[in-house]
Amino acid sequence: MDFDLFLLFLQQGIVSGLVVGSVYALLALSIVMIFKTSEVPNFAAGEVFMAAGYCALFLLVFQHMPLWVAIPVTLVASFIVAALFRRGVLKQVAKASGSPVNLVIATLGLSYVLKGLVRRTGFGDTPRSFPALISTDSIMIGQASITKLDLSIFITAILVMAAVFWMFAYTKVGRAMRAVGMNPKAAQLMGVDLERIHMLVWGLAAVISAIAALLISPKILMTAEMGSIVTMAFAAAIVGGFMSLPGAVVGGFVIGITENFVGLFISSRAIVVAPFVAIMLVLILRPQGLFGGKFAIKKV
Amino acid sequence: MTMTRRTLARAGLTTLASLGFAAFAASASAQEPGLTPTSIKIGMFAPLSGANMAYGFDVANAAKMYFDKINKEGGIHGRKIEVVLEDDRCNANDLVAAVKKLVEQDQVFLLNGGSCSAAVVAAKEYVVRSKVPLVMLNASGDGALYPPTDYIFGAFSISQYAVGGAMVDFAAKAFGAKKLAYINHDDAYGAWNLEGSKADAETLKVDLAVESVSPTINDVTAPFLKLRASNPDALLIVTYARPAALLIKKAAEMGFNKPIILSVTGTANLSQLTANVGGEAALKNFYVQDVLADLPGGPKIKWVYDMYKASYPDLAAKPDHPQSYMPYGIPSAMSIVKALQAAGPNPTREKVIEEMKKLNFDSGVMAGPVVFGPNERAANKATIFIKFDGKNQTLMPGVFTSRWKYKG
Repeated sequence: MDFDLFLLFLQQGIVSGLVVGSVYALLALSIVMIFKTSEVPNFAAGEVFMAAGYCALFLLVFQHMPLWVAIPVTLVASFIVAALFRRGVLKQVAKASGSPVNLVIATLGLSYVLKGLVRRTGFGDTPRSFPALISTDSIMIGQASITKLDLSIFITAILVMAAVFWMFAYTKVGRAMRAVGMNPKAAQLMGVDLERIHMLVWGLAAVISAIAALLISPKILMTAEMGSIVTMAFAAAIVGGFMSLPGAVVGGFVIGITENFVGLFISSRAIVVAPFVAIMLVLILRPQGLFGGKFAIKKV
Repeated sequence: MTMTRRTLARAGLTTLASLGFAAFAASASAQEPGLTPTSIKIGMFAPLSGANMAYGFDVANAAKMYFDKINKEGGIHGRKIEVVLEDDRCNANDLVAAVKKLVEQDQVFLLNGGSCSAAVVAAKEYVVRSKVPLVMLNASGDGALYPPTDYIFGAFSISQYAVGGAMVDFAAKAFGAKKLAYINHDDAYGAWNLEGSKADAETLKVDLAVESVSPTINDVTAPFLKLRASNPDALLIVTYARPAALLIKKAAEMGFNKPIILSVTGTANLSQLTANVGGEAALKNFYVQDVLADLPGGPKIKWVYDMYKASYPDLAAKPDHPQSYMPYGIPSAMSIVKALQAAGPNPTREKVIEEMKKLNFDSGVMAGPVVFGPNERAANKATIFIKFDGKNQTLMPGVFTSRWKYKG
């Protein structure tokens, strides 16, 4: 490989990795938010992402609704479904057994239900194109070529992440969510309505997943299996440290860029393996993740 | 008088012998499951419901309408074909269950089914153990065809080895390509495609720059950039529909203007492909492989579409019918009919298998003839290519095939 080609691959790998990594980061953020407050890894995150994409596709393409109606309806529907799942299913499962395993199984159940529903509609039978809301004309950043759509994906994802961090840092509800994540019993004693916060966290996480779906769907084509992208989000969350919101974001970018570098400099066959190698390296070298802090023994 | 007696005695003995032989032959035939003096029972299976219904529902209908035509013309040696149809949903478990039901409960003479390769390959072991002939519908089913067994015949659409080889053949002949960028999947299909491509590339003295990707790939930037960096004369895409659309879209975004050639496995719906690649601009220099003898609905195969309309007027009135792969059912049904005819009035499964191995005929439906042999179980290896600009389809001259041969 000559030096010019090396430079081209390097620049393109970073730029493309940041774009796709920003979507992984959003999904990782939604997973970590839920895990921090309820200690349940949400295995339905990919299917929530997928179902939200199909909901928007249905409204925009098949119902011909205007954008300003279709997108808010999708986001609100995602919020309501996830919040009701927390209230109607997870709360009951927790009350019935209290075992975290059962809660995880319940999220797996939701993933199958959502995938089944989308398949039932018939829209998921063939790869479908989500209308690009921004032009796909190319622009050059150095030697790297990306589309205006790519740039808008990156900027929107950054804005959403900034809004989430602002909410956690500066709003009452955000502080309540953090308090529930740190010590739910103490938060309850201080007057925080635990169930309301859990519902809000699940709803908000679903909204973030839905935004990720709206951003990436015009790029990746939609199928009922598109939720498998969540594997990358879990990888991002693990790399960042499963309890760290900034870690999830950095992890997303690390996975996105790693994927591209592996494809460009090693082998296209190795792209799918790259995130798992990254996970294993992190688990061996820094088990708490890049931003996870040191392990501490929790006294009960 | 003596002469007459002798003649009569001889005639009597000859008649008795003939009757005895006929009775023996009849009893032999009677032992064959699914065979009566007036009917031959064929067990058919295809995806009649579910997400993969488009792969085989109308293919089975096409095969059935051909059998109906033969029945109307008097059947095969006086026997009418009786079809027992099961839904396999293109799922390995459902398909094996359907095959077992057809063989053990319905006692069919032979099997005619399979529209999805991965599912039909799952029935291989049972079919070979049961010694029931299986003539596939439209699955390529290479995994069940190589190494060859006595009982399974398929690839009436095309063998996956031939898909890849014919792509190289077309690129070399139509564009004089000496260097080809080639992208396939990192699974068994991809390996079969690539093996065929390499055989043709070697013969035609063409260099292949190969990238193999996962069927679930989301970001095709890296493999595309590497292929573009090889400065190819054309880009060959031998993938499933979703990665194919992503690659064509990426090529347009990055200003790639060399010919892009898509395998038959990469699309089932050209209008959906146009939407998925972002519109006609991405298809300025685009060619797609097909395995029929003509453009869909073209004059050479119009009779198949006419027969479908006459046989299934209600279905034909629906917007999604006939499904794209419908004509593929005809060569499969034709092969069964020809083998049964050649097996004579007292067919056995073994006789039919021997006749299947000798088949060599042009169905008039597919791009190439159906050719089996002592060591060959894949029917078709020929393809045509269509220039598609997002709206219009133009048939490229010639038929393109693979030189790959099974060497096992």
